[in-house]
Amino acid sequence: MIYLPIAEMPVNVVLVLLVSGAIGFVSGLVGVGGGFIMTPSLILLGVPAPVAVATGASQIAATSFSGMLAQTRRKAVDWRMGMLLSIGGILGGACGVWLFQRLLHLGQLDLIISLLYLVLLAGVGALMLAESIAVMRGRAMKGVTVLRRPIRSLAHNLPFRLRFPRSGLYISVIPPLLLGFGVGALAAIMGVGGGFILIPAMIYLLRMPTNVVIGTSLFQVLIVASLIVVMQSSATHTVDLVLAALLMLGGVVGAQLGVRLGAGLKSEHLRALLGAVLVAASLKFLWDLVLQPNEHYVLGGGLW
Amino acid sequence: MKRLLALAAFALTCGSAHAQAPGDVASDLPAAVVQEQITVSSDYRGSFVTVFGVNPDRRGRGDIVVVVRGPTAPATVMRKRRVFGLWVNTSPVRFSEAPSFFAVLSNRPLRQIASPQSIWRYRLDPAASAQLASAVPAGADPSAYRAALVRLRRAQGLYQDYTRASTARRGGLTMYQGGLFRAEVRLPANAPIAQYYADTYLFRDGRLISSQRNPIGIERVGVERRIHDLATNASLLYGIITVLLALAAGWAASVLFRRS
Repeated sequence: MIYLPIAEMPVNVVLVLLVSGAIGFVSGLVGVGGGFIMTPSLILLGVPAPVAVATGASQIAATSFSGMLAQTRRKAVDWRMGMLLSIGGILGGACGVWLFQRLLHLGQLDLIISLLYLVLLAGVGALMLAESIAVMRGRAMKGVTVLRRPIRSLAHNLPFRLRFPRSGLYISVIPPLLLGFGVGALAAIMGVGGGFILIPAMIYLLRMPTNVVIGTSLFQVLIVASLIVVMQSSATHTVDLVLAALLMLGGVVGAQLGVRLGAGLKSEHLRALLGAVLVAASLKFLWDLVLQPNEHYVLGGGLW
Repeated sequence: MKRLLALAAFALTCGSAHAQAPGDVASDLPAAVVQEQITVSSDYRGSFVTVFGVNPDRRGRGDIVVVVRGPTAPATVMRKRRVFGLWVNTSPVRFSEAPSFFAVLSNRPLRQIASPQSIWRYRLDPAASAQLASAVPAGADPSAYRAALVRLRRAQGLYQDYTRASTARRGGLTMYQGGLFRAEVRLPANAPIAQYYADTYLFRDGRLISSQRNPIGIERVGVERRIHDLATNASLLYGIITVLLALAAGWAASVLFRRS
């Protein structure tokens, strides 16, 4: 047990390391920051919600940096695309923080966050599951890889086109900027890194090849999460350094193991796994929203 | 005329009562706390507040009530309602101030010691200490919100009640011979780090005879204190340090695992 100076509560060191290690493992395996599991887990452990949201961001930064370094060695980061997404993400994050405060003021932040989680996790998860199962089936039947990427999409027809050699794309800069903006805004509202939205969007909207998607999304998540840590530290004083250190330790070790295992797996397997995780997480949110509560009153004052 | 004066005096004292030691009775009850300064270091897991004192009445008449209070802070209570099949938080009610910690101890049930007016006036009950900030939504019952606040905080261990005879938990008020008494309250680790007060009251025949207020300070020490000071006084630097730590941790793990 160790006492957290900002959260003002003691936590079990081993338990926190195990939880963050498991989340880091999933994160490294499929390339998500893991915040959408981390934040609710910390709240379940009794950490006050504002501290959980802000401190979780520092763990996301550590995990995504370690994951990104591993991906860099495999030349799986599209830096140009990552920069564009980050610029959009920083602007979107600032707008998201403003919207966050507005919703908090209206007292409806809770509902919006739960519904956003439910819709996004279920939608994205189901899409990925269905697609990867279809690919796996096709492969099993025909014994050949189905070519997933079509030649052209909307991104190819808009102005301000730029060449992305690493991704083998020649597309407009507008879709990546908008995507980064949207993900940054959602990330700020939901207190997550946003990789779980970014990855499918990069695959299905930007038509990026799957092998550079994970590294590039980790790069964007790293930039946005680092910024959130600094902003939350100076604005709300809710970043707990001791908790952050514990989460980082567990998170980075788990992430390295995840990356290692992920390198030996086929991409459709990875996507099926991520899809299943997302659908499972969304069911948890649906469950909480539909089930009759024991206690009809809740204490507010936090962020959730 | 006399009655009018008494009424005016009552109204005045009511207005000034405000959770402080009541002004119209002597605050000379002999009582003290064992530990006036509680330190919080990295192995802090809560502590105990112990108040002891003597009932000055030679024949031992009267009842002792001890209240340990944390600082007050705003609080919000919301009600869950089903909307389109989903349970959502609706109808928030704000309390401008509610005690962040509140423990009340007495040698017999509070209702037998003090009148409901006294309980309200001297704020011997957590519900009595919570001030509503806004009107409750139409159709809602303010006392239900008050009760919910107390129930939820009690579940967190922040509100404690040792006024009933049978308490299995550690803590409570013990009376000894010669009018000596000792009150013990468990201060959970999630109780805020702040200035606390232990108020001791002596009631006789339902009336307050005397009281005493003892401060209890809770303070961070060592690393806990340094981290907290940095986070509040140099928050931007603190944020940058956290990010650098994150990058270092990520890099270290990446290097270590590449070699193995």
